[in-house]
Amino acid sequence: MTESILELQNVEKYFGDFVAVERINLEVKKGEFFTIVGPSGSGKTTMIRMLVGMDKPSRGDILMSGERVNDVPANRRPTCMVFQSLALFPHKTVGENIEFPLKLRGETKNNRKTRAIQLLEQLHLTEAYYAKKVSECSGGEKQRVALARALAFDPEILFFDEPLSALDYRLRKTLEKELKDIQRQTGKTFVYITHSLEEAMVMSDRISIMRDGRIVQIGTPDEIYNKPANSFVAQFMGEVNQFNVTRQDDARFLDTDTQDTYVGPPDADLQSGVLIVRPERIQILAEGEAADTEIAGTVQNQYVLGSRVQYEVKVTKRSLLVETMIGDAWNVGESVRLGWNSDQAFLLAR
Amino acid sequence: MSATETAYRNRKSEKAIRVWTVVILLFIYLPMVAVFIASFSKLRFFMFPVKAWSLDWYASVFNSIEIRDYLGTSLLIAGVVTVVSVVLAIAGALAFARYEWKGRSLYQKLILLPIFFPQAVLGLAILLWSSALDLSPGWQLAVFAHLVWIIPIVTLVISIQVYGFDPSVEEAAYDLGASRWQVFTEVTLPILWPGIFSGALFAFLLSWGNFPLSTFTTGAEQTVPVWLYAKMVAGYSPQVPALGSLTTLLAGLVLFGGYWLGRRKAKK
Repeated sequence: MTESILELQNVEKYFGDFVAVERINLEVKKGEFFTIVGPSGSGKTTMIRMLVGMDKPSRGDILMSGERVNDVPANRRPTCMVFQSLALFPHKTVGENIEFPLKLRGETKNNRKTRAIQLLEQLHLTEAYYAKKVSECSGGEKQRVALARALAFDPEILFFDEPLSALDYRLRKTLEKELKDIQRQTGKTFVYITHSLEEAMVMSDRISIMRDGRIVQIGTPDEIYNKPANSFVAQFMGEVNQFNVTRQDDARFLDTDTQDTYVGPPDADLQSGVLIVRPERIQILAEGEAADTEIAGTVQNQYVLGSRVQYEVKVTKRSLLVETMIGDAWNVGESVRLGWNSDQAFLLAR
Repeated sequence: MSATETAYRNRKSEKAIRVWTVVILLFIYLPMVAVFIASFSKLRFFMFPVKAWSLDWYASVFNSIEIRDYLGTSLLIAGVVTVVSVVLAIAGALAFARYEWKGRSLYQKLILLPIFFPQAVLGLAILLWSSALDLSPGWQLAVFAHLVWIIPIVTLVISIQVYGFDPSVEEAAYDLGASRWQVFTEVTLPILWPGIFSGALFAFLLSWGNFPLSTFTTGAEQTVPVWLYAKMVAGYSPQVPALGSLTTLLAGLVLFGGYWLGRRKAKK
């Protein structure tokens, strides 16, 4: 097992009576891309401020490479952060921004410049950017400069506070992948904070999901997607179909709202809860096809999402969301048979 | 309304605005121009229009050791006021606009109040206090009086710059290993520099031209505006318009020279 570089033991933070984060226990391994995901107000910003040393925990310990760092201020920690606002120095050139941590360490001008240009190239920016003003750079270029500055610091852990949230969708997608590449190339530990689970899925080795100041689940993207700990996690990834159910017998569950019955997941041991089926796990059955659970309905709406199409299908007393690859054409008003197999559904506590 | 019609209207209103601007500027500057013209008059008396021209009074201003002393005192006071007020106002502006602290909103009101004190009353009050404390009036007391009025103004000028400042930039520098002092010199100070520079210009010019505070507090060490006033109310000398023009000219030089320097620095 790889050694842990960052460990939180029962970390809590209060602001007066307000509990910002509560009983946080987690461990980040060396070289890992670890992401903390949560909606706004979930305590993730409080978390990262404690991790970089800008706030102290009210209780509990933060360990870096086994040493307690609770009282070590941000400027003495071997970590640094890429800020949400990027926090580039507006009065310095791109080159001076990147060189800043090296200048503080007393590196010679030549060494600094060599390293800055090396970093620019690593981040797909040409040497011409060295002398540019920060204000002359585009949003994506500023991102890269901020990352280069953080890498120049050569931190043991690099923290990110939602730096991509202000960018447009396509650029964000490109930078997410670049960030993952950089992390793999440098072998550094990245701890990333975001409100977008989708973004976390693309980049992370492991994800921690926060809600109301607590960790709800920690796992690989695969685990988060396929074995969500509760319906909050399941819904966080996107729209889902939810049914309030109680157990009827070993395999069958009764929908308490519609009185329909569904075949549940085989390993579920709950007596009642929320049965969740993702839209892409429901199939529109062709003639002769069968599934564990089958429901008849009428196509009510169609939304093209790009490579996929989402259908809103009216079934008894409710409507379900179904996603298929584009190309399967179902018309609005058409009668269809929906179905899913029992292992495609989760039964979760309410 | 058609596009050409709009353009026509715009051109018409543009012309009106231009004429209006010139009228306003004339209104403001004409009295000063009158003094400037009068300073070249040969006559001993302030008279208009000027019939005979001469530079005699300028020569007499430059040759007067007495006037050189007043200029020196004015410069000394303005210089000290500039340095002290800027240093204090930087801290004051950070407290005004940057940091959240208990009592900040009260402070924001209190710090601005001295700007609106009637200056003559403020000058007199300071003089009364100084005699109560057994301090004799002089240039030091004038510096103090000027500071009471000028620090709030400079604080306000620098605060405007502080408001446009992203505090995470300071945190980033700190996070990248800078000490508190390095954060201040490497990040805070350079970013606030344009505001500090404007603040310094304000401080210098307001002190340089101040009469009501100086008249009560300078004692025997008169400044140029105090001397000018004294000469106007009693024993008029034609040196008055000449020296008046010179001090205004110097203020203009400081102002425009300052802006020119600031722009050149920004371009680099």
